[in-house]
Amino acid sequence: MINKYFKVWWILTTKAAQIALESRFGSTMFILGKILRFAFLLIFIVIVATGAETIAGYDTWQVILFFATFNLIDSVPQFFFREVYRFRLYVVSGDFDYFLVKPLSPLFRSLFGGADILDSFTIIIAVVLLIVATSNINGVTVVGISIYIILIINAFLITTALHIFVLALGVITTEIDSALWIYKDLTAMGRFPIDIYKEPLRGFITFVVPIGIMISFPPMALLGFLSAQIILFAMAVGISIFLLSLKVWKFALRKYSSASS
Amino acid sequence: MNKYFLVGKNLVSEIFTYRLNFVMWRVRMILSLLTIYFLWSALIPEGRELFGYTNSSILTYIILVHLTYSFVVASRSYAVGEDIIQGNLSNFLLKPFNYFTYLFSKDVGDKFMNISLTVIELSILFVILKPPIFIQTDLLLLLLTALSILSGIGIMFFIYVLLGSIGFWSQEVWAPRFIFFTIILNFFTGFLFPLDILPKPIFDFIQFLPFSYLLYFPVKIYLGQMAIDQILMGTSISLFWVVVFHLLLKKVWTKGLQIYGAYGR
Repeated sequence: MINKYFKVWWILTTKAAQIALESRFGSTMFILGKILRFAFLLIFIVIVATGAETIAGYDTWQVILFFATFNLIDSVPQFFFREVYRFRLYVVSGDFDYFLVKPLSPLFRSLFGGADILDSFTIIIAVVLLIVATSNINGVTVVGISIYIILIINAFLITTALHIFVLALGVITTEIDSALWIYKDLTAMGRFPIDIYKEPLRGFITFVVPIGIMISFPPMALLGFLSAQIILFAMAVGISIFLLSLKVWKFALRKYSSASS
Repeated sequence: MNKYFLVGKNLVSEIFTYRLNFVMWRVRMILSLLTIYFLWSALIPEGRELFGYTNSSILTYIILVHLTYSFVVASRSYAVGEDIIQGNLSNFLLKPFNYFTYLFSKDVGDKFMNISLTVIELSILFVILKPPIFIQTDLLLLLLTALSILSGIGIMFFIYVLLGSIGFWSQEVWAPRFIFFTIILNFFTGFLFPLDILPKPIFDFIQFLPFSYLLYFPVKIYLGQMAIDQILMGTSISLFWVVVFHLLLKKVWTKGLQIYGAYGR
């Protein structure tokens, strides 16, 4: 079963990679743009964090840790879930019908319909920066790293759920582009520690739209700033949102009218 | 003249027709403003000074950049590339009006809507956040700020059309636009941070590029943080770029029309 799904994913990913690399100029500019944006933001963070000495109580390497975590959590879903960005077209053209009649989960096909190879470069850079930042922070423990990894997995669970919500919205309203961009802008607020935001905004992006749980909690746990109760709460939120997204997806499928097909 | 006024008016009607898209765009702009605003609030709390900025001056800078963005950057001229690739340009070439004036009229409509919404958003944020704000009362500086904004609008318009003109030679018009929006607009115009916090040699170099005259320069004049000779120098460089881009566009457009194949029509 898993083999079958992996095989389908691999075939779709190789096809998507061929399409992406077909235009060498476009793909080069895209990768260059992403790397330059990453580099310029990093330089900006270093300049301001060094000048200010601390940002919301975090030193330069700690702020870089938050930034690297943001990039990891931002890039991995973009790598795997690129198909979500094309999903509207399938719904409005009626091609989504073909997803439904095949012996494959339509949710799997809609989410994992071809990874974006162009995003793999930012993932690699984010991981390298993460390792460099962690090695420059004093007092990092094995327990801290383990909890960090668990919370990163939890963040991927939340981001998967948010993408499923977007797909469900696409089925019901045929409009997902705006929702995706708002999601991207909200996650971009996690580039910096959520402590910089004031209440009630901080509470909103921590608990209502769980950007804080996704992006800020893992580095805070690594730095030893989160209690066991908060960590358990974060995981409970992750699992609950994921289960809720599956329910919403099933509800959306029942509303699908197969227009245009 | 009336026909161009109608083009701008139609754009406003179009925005009201597809309200959700426009509202979402504004929500994105507010989120972007909030991120930068709170970042700088955390970096420079009240009573502290960093890179020559106080809490009041940096927050005024961030808010004014947001407003200036609606004046200068808001535009529909980026669609030139798609017009060329899809062959829609032929429709405009056959009609008795100037394509560039048509584009600019659409820009005016777009700017009008963006400025109106920005003013409403900022008014609400003022009530909620109560930021310390600096009001400029020197008429000469206000006049020079207006002049620099006009010059910035000119530069921006020519950049958009030039980027779109790539469509005459390549289908990949989105790629240079992606670089422009993600890199140039964020890091070289003063959108994310005031450019004078950069190391001096880099800042000096950036001042000779056209991008700092889009957002950074008008806002700095308004804040009264520039000597009159710096303003005159900056205004000259800015006008120089307007002329250069104008001449470049004339040349590029003429060359482009010679090879324009009207594909898709």
